[in-house]
Amino acid sequence: MAIVRGADPLDLTLSGKPEEASRPLGSRLRRWLPIWIGACMAVGMVVMAAAAPLIAPVSPSAQFGDAVLKGPGALDRHWLGTDEFGRDVLSRIIWGARVSLEVGLASVLFAFAVGVPMGILAGVRGGRVETLIMRCADMLMAFPTLLLALIIVTALGGSLINEMVAIGIALTPNFVRLSRSLALTIREQDYIMAARALGSGQIRVMARHVFPNALYALVVVATLYIATAIRTEASLSFLGLGIPPPTPSWGNILSDGRQYIKCCPWITTFSGLAIMLAVLAFNVVGDALRDLLDPRLRGE
Amino acid sequence: MLQYAMRRLLVAVPMLLGAMSIVFFAMRVLPGDPCVAMMGDQATTSALADCTKNLGLHRPLAVQYVDYLWRSVRFDFGNSLRQGYPVSEYIARMFPHTFVLVMASAVVAALVGVPIGILSALKRRNPLVDYPLRIFALLGLSMPVFWLGILLLIVFSLHLDIFPLIGGGDLDGAMAMIRSGEVFTYPRDFLALVGDVLHHLTLPALALGFTLAATVSRLSRSAMLEVISQDYIRTARAKGQGERVVVYKHALRNMMVPLLTIIGIFVAIALTGTVLTETVFTRPGLGKMLVDAIGARDYPLAQGAITVFTMTIIAVNLLVDVLYAVVDPRITYR
Repeated sequence: MAIVRGADPLDLTLSGKPEEASRPLGSRLRRWLPIWIGACMAVGMVVMAAAAPLIAPVSPSAQFGDAVLKGPGALDRHWLGTDEFGRDVLSRIIWGARVSLEVGLASVLFAFAVGVPMGILAGVRGGRVETLIMRCADMLMAFPTLLLALIIVTALGGSLINEMVAIGIALTPNFVRLSRSLALTIREQDYIMAARALGSGQIRVMARHVFPNALYALVVVATLYIATAIRTEASLSFLGLGIPPPTPSWGNILSDGRQYIKCCPWITTFSGLAIMLAVLAFNVVGDALRDLLDPRLRGE
Repeated sequence: MLQYAMRRLLVAVPMLLGAMSIVFFAMRVLPGDPCVAMMGDQATTSALADCTKNLGLHRPLAVQYVDYLWRSVRFDFGNSLRQGYPVSEYIARMFPHTFVLVMASAVVAALVGVPIGILSALKRRNPLVDYPLRIFALLGLSMPVFWLGILLLIVFSLHLDIFPLIGGGDLDGAMAMIRSGEVFTYPRDFLALVGDVLHHLTLPALALGFTLAATVSRLSRSAMLEVISQDYIRTARAKGQGERVVVYKHALRNMMVPLLTIIGIFVAIALTGTVLTETVFTRPGLGKMLVDAIGARDYPLAQGAITVFTMTIIAVNLLVDVLYAVVDPRITYR
């Protein structure tokens, strides 16, 4: 397996440890700094979502009758102000992170789990299986992600699980395509022939040789799709097709706040900012990782 | 060339068929009976039965499916459940609004995105240029269009009061003047209408255009990088030509093919973007119609809107693929 790894074309950029150490500090910083910044933001978001009950100042559904539509700083217990029911915007945004990240991560996992095996199967087997799988993927690709997710969520009804499934299905063809094209390159490698010659069956080749070698690239792209998934979830919630109220999600906080943009712009401003920061975090990480992997786009 | 175009067209047919099947079956598994949605819970059983019969819902699913496909080909999507008028009429009325929005945001996205993408590809070794541009691209890519729209509304409509808060302007009036030929008799009135439309269009086009500019700048950056690493660029440089000549005469011209790809991708995301943009700016259009139709459980209307969206995207991609072959004669169907 060790020899096999070294021969992997996708591995080249990450395997060069000595090369990395010999680079000047500035160059190393330039490559790794965005990853660290993005990763810190992303991890921060995940921690915020996981620890929501601990760090949210008050309950997201608690209504303060004396503090309806109060701006940030107007009362010292509501840092980001309150909404039309006197609910604390900061607490709602912290709890809303749960929905966004749960849907973001789960839908990408779904798409990965369904799309990657199909893509590898298509790439390795070829023939009719490939044609069938790729035509189905093309059909789904005819719809932009949001539109497809919107159709499915309309058909299934808005709930946490349905949103995950809808966005997951909408993202699946992307993973099918990518893993197929990776499998097409990998299956031509000598180590695949070696594995075949040693008597490995097709499934073993796919699972033990093709998949591990495609994994790096797939994970990088998955990071970028988490950003897409979070944005899609926020869009669905904004259109009123996501999690039904009173459960807070960034999209529905923003959508509810739309009626009050004249008097109370903080509701929409902060919830939108949360969406942007979360999407940005995963985009930065994915982007930087992709630059590391793909020497052609690295521009050095 | 012609053979390639025909083959490409043949591939598009099953794709369109498949996409429309997805729309049909998705709309059939929707919770709730369309007749109950239309007539309310108090409707009598016989009234519901009549309604089911009128809408053709009592027929076998396969028959309904073939019927739907055949009607869709002729742009007949049935009648709206709420208002009762043909869906195609709504689509015909809303399409121009969405069309001008996509076009205007394409102009914004191209004016902002293409120069940024090319600049960041050419100056990628200069961190002072590359970093700000990449940060801009990342911000644009991460900023939800509905949020940017609300921020623009807060600043330019509510505080500065320069642009209208809702509506799409009198586009119907302007189009009616073109159709009746009054454009030539009353050019002033026509210009006033166009001005009104543009006035309503500015903020939505800016919001959608800026979020799309990020995608456009990335695509044109990688297109430029791809072109600039080609052998003929090295040859041009080796001949001793200046950087300016290399970029303008050799690189930009060869960007036509990648540029076409950008247009294909652009139309797909811009059309999706209109769903959100039109909702935020309360602007008439196909996207807003779709969202409203889903909210009102007006399935024929929603089905019609989705079908038009999908048809447009498939048609544009087909056109782009055929244009590839025109621009680059080396391309053939595999």
